[in-house]
Amino acid sequence: MEEYSSGDEAVFSADDATISVKECIEGVIGGTDYNQSKVNQWTATIVEHSLTHLVKQGRPFKYIVNCTIMQKSGAGLHTANSCYWDTATDGSCTVRWENRTIYCVVSVFAVAVTL
Amino acid sequence: MSKTQVSRFKSSVDQERRHFYSEEIQPEVFLLLGNPVQLTPDEAAAMDEYQTEDETAFVVEEVSKIIKESVEAAIGGNAYQHSRVNQWTTSVVEQCLSQLSKLGKPFKYIVTCIIMQKNGAGLQTASACFWDNTTDGSCAVRWENKSMYCIVNVFGLSI
Repeated sequence: MEEYSSGDEAVFSADDATISVKECIEGVIGGTDYNQSKVNQWTATIVEHSLTHLVKQGRPFKYIVNCTIMQKSGAGLHTANSCYWDTATDGSCTVRWENRTIYCVVSVFAVAVTL
Repeated sequence: MSKTQVSRFKSSVDQERRHFYSEEIQPEVFLLLGNPVQLTPDEAAAMDEYQTEDETAFVVEEVSKIIKESVEAAIGGNAYQHSRVNQWTTSVVEQCLSQLSKLGKPFKYIVTCIIMQKNGAGLQTASACFWDNTTDGSCAVRWENKSMYCIVNVFGLSI
């Protein structure tokens, strides 16, 4: 793994991650309506951009970014996650976003790397 | 040590529209898992050496089997019921997690579960992971019955 900046606390900051993920989502699907042919591309772009922003922070973490996009059509959707890790150093954050025709849920999981 | 988070979506559409079924909408579930594990021939050869080290590798087949059993046990013969979904997702993830930790491997796990009612809506999920390609892995299982889809993702990160 590349060198990490020294002096950084190895605690996941959920607030920072939430802000950067929200900006990512807005940037990709901000003013658009659900479009079946583009969804594939949207989810890929959102996860890649979010991951890049997180990695740029240079902290000693492994990341998993998960994005779900669903069309609004009256269906019920339920998601849950459970994690087996070190609660002192690892963390996650989930961002829910919607517009007229789309629901988008992005989850970020950060697991500390022991160097 | 385990933490469970449940996020629930309530449809903001009013009651009448719940019965709306558009002919144009294809009832398909598209999945794209950003899979970062691309093996070069060298790496593939190196991987062969590790096959005997089942103790410390992320074995996709084994994990996949565990997930399928957990899903069957939790929601096997049921039809989608709004009042019970909360409980189902929780029990799927918890059961998967406890079976995985019983394997006794030096891994941290993240299990996510999505249950969606079959209603003609489109659903797309994607994941991207920043980890160590040689030791970490993920596994996704898609399951369905007549009234719902269930998608379970397991990510294993080595310690």
